[in-house]
Amino acid sequence: MKKLITILFLALSINSVSAFATPTLKVSVNGMVCAFCAQGIEKKVKALAETKEVYVNLKAHLVAIELKEGKKLSNETITKIIKDAGYDVTNIEESEHPLAHIKAGMDK
Amino acid sequence: MYIFLQKRLILFGLMLFIHPSAYAAPLGYQGSVMTMLDYSQNWREASFNYAVTNRDAFGLTHLEIRSDDRQKKRTIDEFTYTKLLSRWNQPSSQSNLWLFLGIGSLRGEDKLGLMKDSFDKVLVNPGMQFDYETTRVYFAATHKLYRATDINHDFSSVRAGFSFYETDYEKTQPWFIVEARYTNHLSDKVEITPMLRLINKSFFVEGGINNDAQPRLNFMYTF
Repeated sequence: MKKLITILFLALSINSVSAFATPTLKVSVNGMVCAFCAQGIEKKVKALAETKEVYVNLKAHLVAIELKEGKKLSNETITKIIKDAGYDVTNIEESEHPLAHIKAGMDK
Repeated sequence: MYIFLQKRLILFGLMLFIHPSAYAAPLGYQGSVMTMLDYSQNWREASFNYAVTNRDAFGLTHLEIRSDDRQKKRTIDEFTYTKLLSRWNQPSSQSNLWLFLGIGSLRGEDKLGLMKDSFDKVLVNPGMQFDYETTRVYFAATHKLYRATDINHDFSSVRAGFSFYETDYEKTQPWFIVEARYTNHLSDKVEITPMLRLINKSFFVEGGINNDAQPRLNFMYTF
């Protein structure tokens, strides 16, 4: 019985974590070659109310956006912001991993 | 003496708020103000522009240029418009075609022996730039016309270089850049300046020594 309660508790915990987990968006961007020029992307994305943190990786052509809890950001909004900063979005995908995980290069 | 130093400090402060037409991208992101300072013995330029869109910027430029023999001096103040005509974004590179338009005043001073001739004219300053950049190599070719009645100081420059290594976005990246530039009717020589360029997400700075052993400093900052 004790085991059953423990398993039930763990299952509920995992479920609630995934329900409230903040997704990280991985955006592939073309043309992002210079930090001085790409700062516009970071500033504009950071200014969004939905954004918790932004990570830019020039070598991987990647902009990763961690959203605040319960917040969502549409692909259209992201694409427009990056386009307005002068770059082209080629792909947007949602990662199950937190931003720190992507920063550490573990989200391959 | 105190007032002189204070004026110099104020001027330096203003210079820090100012944008070059021939380095990196001469226009920031929409809503940004890009500032620049270009300083050498015969070329002193301070400018800024405001990007109303991601392809259009309006600004002001103050430029002082001088001939190698110091007999000719030109002071230019102009309104500028910068247009990104075309941008090609690739996964690992970016190339751009820029249009520059400027109109303003040119104050000139020509020394002929003991005689000195001073004049004021209306200046027009159209130009084009093409640049190509990856995280490791950089190339830019710029041509600008500096024209007024009986005045032609057309300017051409080519810049090329490489970065020593790739860095993270947050870190400062060092580059080696060589610029060759020529200004019509002010110098008979092509000025060649090897420079160390440091790029950070917040600032852009270049420093070098030209083929006349004169120092050169460029600085850019985007707000």
